[in-house]
Amino acid sequence: MVISWKTRLYIWFRLLLLQASWNFERLQGVGFFYALLPGLRKLYKGEELLAVSRKYVGYFNTHVYLAPMVAGAVLKLEEDKASGEADPTVQVDDFKEMVAAPYAAIGDALFWGGLRPLAAGVSLFFAIKGILWAPLIFVVTYNLVPTWFRTVFFVRGYRQGMESVEFIQKNRLPDWAIHTKETAIVLLGGLSAFMVFSHLNQQQLPSWLGLLTLVPMVMLGLVARKGMSTLFLVTVTVVTIFLLGLFWADMVYLIAS
Amino acid sequence: MTGSLAFGALISLVCGLDRVAILQIMISRPIVAAPLTAMALGEPLVGVQIGVMVELLWLARLPVGAAVPPDDTQVAIASSVLAILLGQELNASGIELLLLCLLVAIPLGKIGQYFDHYARQYNVRLIDRVDTALDRGSLLGAEFQHLRGLTSFSLAAVGTYVAIVLGGFVAIPFLWPLLNQSLSHSSAWIQLALPLVGVAVILGTINVSRAITLFCASFCMSFLLMWLV
Repeated sequence: MVISWKTRLYIWFRLLLLQASWNFERLQGVGFFYALLPGLRKLYKGEELLAVSRKYVGYFNTHVYLAPMVAGAVLKLEEDKASGEADPTVQVDDFKEMVAAPYAAIGDALFWGGLRPLAAGVSLFFAIKGILWAPLIFVVTYNLVPTWFRTVFFVRGYRQGMESVEFIQKNRLPDWAIHTKETAIVLLGGLSAFMVFSHLNQQQLPSWLGLLTLVPMVMLGLVARKGMSTLFLVTVTVVTIFLLGLFWADMVYLIAS
Repeated sequence: MTGSLAFGALISLVCGLDRVAILQIMISRPIVAAPLTAMALGEPLVGVQIGVMVELLWLARLPVGAAVPPDDTQVAIASSVLAILLGQELNASGIELLLLCLLVAIPLGKIGQYFDHYARQYNVRLIDRVDTALDRGSLLGAEFQHLRGLTSFSLAAVGTYVAIVLGGFVAIPFLWPLLNQSLSHSSAWIQLALPLVGVAVILGTINVSRAITLFCASFCMSFLLMWLV
């Protein structure tokens, strides 16, 4: 192997800065070049290095936690190419383009759509109880999986090159994304019930009233599905509750007097 | 007060960079950023309360591709700073002031979305500089241009923080005497409603078949269990 483990470790750390120059034209392109550069420097020299570098500053976009896997595989392919062992039918550029979009879709669904709400739900249980460790619980719960992906998938990518795609297929990540989302929904259901139940107890109101919360929540969910913005929904909800609060206070005052 | 504001700005910078540019270890999430800020200012519980209310609001807005969600990080940080500093200034405490700070900060979070957009637009200029550096044969120059992108993201984060804090310092002392009493009738309900709106939006936008059925089943099951125990 031409690229030492020290260089690979350096590249791994540089991948943490992948999006430092994120822009609307080439998205993560420059960042991907920046991360790979220590490896490219070991493989190419002079004009050849500049030519390869120009190729890498082009458009690139994938999920930030799966980018290490692409980077690992690309390094392996470049290494094979530089040593003349590469399959002539395989173009590194084609591979990069081929995997970036599907990995982005898998990562978005798994991490942003599933894991983040799940970790938020877990930590909010603690936060509502006033436990000050809740933020730490969120950071630890959430980061276990991405750190594992960033590390293990980078190693896998480098070891297996193009075959690393099979690793993703074998582990059925798209299915995991759906299961994570479903778990997050169940957890958020429990969290919502907990919040409503605790609130009604504090207000000394009958607990069964809490079941009625489902009606406005489902309605808001359906409205959100139609594309209504969160800001609008927050404004409508807050103004409605505020006015109802004033109305209720006036009624209590009138009855008392 | 200046020290606290500066400390808030420093946290907003670090958390703002975590949002897009570096690491992405999610210290930028409101449930982390708000308590972190409030802890630094000596009132961690205020941060936890704000974190709970903001965390779920925009969680459904995924940072997918070129989509830029509203800046909930700066909303959480700035409203924590406002709630603590204005609490001392106005000699007020309680959930009402905290809610007012948050309700002023939430619409201003939209500014963060624009600033973030401009930062990414500005970074397009760096591409030409990277290409020029490579044409000159300077790899170091190209690397430097990449790192320059951090400046625009930093400015966007701190700019949003400053805009929200300034807006809060102008609006809240004016609104507080007018709304303090009226808010007390509904504050507890609004505090409950904000995270529930967030959950509802997640429910509506999450791409899972039978999401509503799953949610309702889980809600009813948990509720009945708590009722029985």
